Amino acid sequence: MSHVTIRRRGRARELRRAAPFVLPFLVLFVVVYLIPAGYSVVQSFFAVKRSGLGLGGAETVFAGLDNYTRVFHDGEFLGSLGRVAFIGLIQVPVMLGIALILALLIDSSVSAGRKFFRVAYFLPYGLPGVIAALVWSFLYAPTLSPVTRLFASMGIHVSFVTDGALPFSIANILTWAWTGYNTILIYSALQAIPEETMEAAALDGCSGWKAALLIKVPLIRPALLLTLVFSIIGTAQLYNEPVTMKAVAPNLPSTYTPIMAALRSLSSNDFNYAAAQSVVLGAVICVLSVLVFRASARSVES
Amino acid sequence: MVKRTARLIAAAVAAAAGIALAGCGGGDDAGTQASGPVDVTFWGWAAGYDKSVALWNESHPDIHVKYEALPSGGQTGYDKMLTAAKAGTAPCLAQVGYETFSTFLAASVLQDVSQYVKAQRAEFPDWVWNNVGVGGAAYGVPVDTAPMAMFYRADLFKNANIAIPKTWEEFATAAAAVKAANPQARIMNLPTDPYLYSGFAWQHGASWFGVKGDSWTVSIDSAANAEVGQYWQGLFTQGLVTSYPAFDAALYSAWNKGEVWSEVGPVWSASLIRDNAGDSAGKWAVAPMPRWGTTDAVGNSGGSSTAVMKGCKYPKQATEFALWMSTNDQSVSNLIASAAILPASKSGLANAALDKPESYYGGQPIYQLFRDESAKVNANWQWGPVMSATAASLGDGLGKVPTKGGTYQDALSGTQKATLSALQAQGFSVSK
Repeated sequence: MSHVTIRRRGRARELRRAAPFVLPFLVLFVVVYLIPAGYSVVQSFFAVKRSGLGLGGAETVFAGLDNYTRVFHDGEFLGSLGRVAFIGLIQVPVMLGIALILALLIDSSVSAGRKFFRVAYFLPYGLPGVIAALVWSFLYAPTLSPVTRLFASMGIHVSFVTDGALPFSIANILTWAWTGYNTILIYSALQAIPEETMEAAALDGCSGWKAALLIKVPLIRPALLLTLVFSIIGTAQLYNEPVTMKAVAPNLPSTYTPIMAALRSLSSNDFNYAAAQSVVLGAVICVLSVLVFRASARSVES
Repeated sequence: MVKRTARLIAAAVAAAAGIALAGCGGGDDAGTQASGPVDVTFWGWAAGYDKSVALWNESHPDIHVKYEALPSGGQTGYDKMLTAAKAGTAPCLAQVGYETFSTFLAASVLQDVSQYVKAQRAEFPDWVWNNVGVGGAAYGVPVDTAPMAMFYRADLFKNANIAIPKTWEEFATAAAAVKAANPQARIMNLPTDPYLYSGFAWQHGASWFGVKGDSWTVSIDSAANAEVGQYWQGLFTQGLVTSYPAFDAALYSAWNKGEVWSEVGPVWSASLIRDNAGDSAGKWAVAPMPRWGTTDAVGNSGGSSTAVMKGCKYPKQATEFALWMSTNDQSVSNLIASAAILPASKSGLANAALDKPESYYGGQPIYQLFRDESAKVNANWQWGPVMSATAASLGDGLGKVPTKGGTYQDALSGTQKATLSALQAQGFSVSK
């Protein structure tokens, strides 16, 4: 028996042992994720053709890249992509920065009430997203908000729902809801840092904030990368908050985010175009995630 | 060994595909036998529909209607129906507003039931039948219409000695008088909801869609539409109206506190005001909608039908129920009481419940006024097959008016463009 055969047999045995653990996930992944995604991609290459008034029915014909051409000429969809990009830029760094500081604080040896703060920071994430958005929308509503009324009593006119203020108001809700989640993720990664490393640092005279920033942070880089990618994906898929805000901010367009734009196409019976929009959004998110991973990998090697 | 793994994975994918495709099986095939009760599913959202269904089931054990309540059509209800139709799991009957009926027709999800309604054709006026089909065919049964009128605080107008306006010109004068009488009060809230606004365009004969031969025409930026838009823009610019979002808690509170004195809206606003401004009970009254000059026409904003979806195995029985719901005395009384609808059927309009004095409106039998006004609804209105795109675009544009980010004219022009591109993108033929 050659060396190679033994190794191959061992590998097969490994796979057989792994199968019962992997198959359930694989089956669900294929059924719930890959098949619908594939269906969407296929649908995006078709279009509906009608004749005259179109009330006699329609036929679905192969349309090649027509839907995609339409997506790239669609000002409203491109605008929505720009909008979520802007919200991502103003929100993600702030949120991750706060999460990092909070995690470091909870992890530091001098902190008191560690368990309490761990729960307290995580609590906003426990609140269902729509409920959080709803309550925040009442705090923003020009006529109902106690905050606006407080400022008005001091003579300052403040509005959280003007066109310019909307991205920041939405970013605020996102930061409030998700900072705790990211804090716990980063905190868990900090737990993996061995005690000896920090002791060695202390011996060398590096402690407190200097140690935290110069030693802990580089060691938890994978976790930071994870939270960054999750945040990018979550922001690109923004839906809950703008839709809930629309009730108190009628000036919020119904195509504010890419998903809202795709759903509007769906409501108009334009299934194929909605599929194309979704595929484009998915592709943009994929490309961004890959770029982020590549950029961080490169800096590790350099 | 690699082949073994590949086979394992292939088997997993096949199994997964099998599971997925089995789910595409669609509805059950049971119940094709003539004997035994027939099951008809009905998806709707308006208040009182469930009670009418219960009344039917009591007296008709052979045709069992199963009602399922959905969120209202515009708030994902229609999406659910269209997606179910595409998946082959559509219900037999669906509550479809007249404004969305053409969209459903264009999506080929409705069934022609002209033969089943022929016997009761005379029950409904012609313009109403036009809302549930094309070219004389019927794809469903009308339920109600929604003519508009002016709901107003009789006490406030009387105390301030302001006459109830009969024309839009008088309305503008009254608006200034209201503000002068009480600087915190305004005559009305600006109409920025696209479907509520459509009623005003309807009254003025400013139809948004038309049919020319075998093509659609779009006239959202017509002169008549501009006139209506300019009227409301003018009232807003002069600060004579409030600008709360439609259906907003702040608006209801303003109605309650007497900060907004009237609402020109459809008949179902009667239950909206009654249910949300309870403190001012007994002080409201209803007057005819202000007219444009001497033209004696009113607008219509709403109205639903019971549509028969394609794939319904019992269209005859489904249509029988739909006709019953719209014409039977008990059912109509129930719908009037629950949802403040104005029946579309002739027997419905003769229902005694319409003559009942409404205590919330100072004992006035308000539905008599709506019944009389329903005969004056402008017959020159056509809905188009891309209403969700049109309404969304108009809603976005009108939403900018209160924050001064745009005018009514901007909204109308923008919606004209969006509607044309939606029609063309979906392959409808459009002509100028």
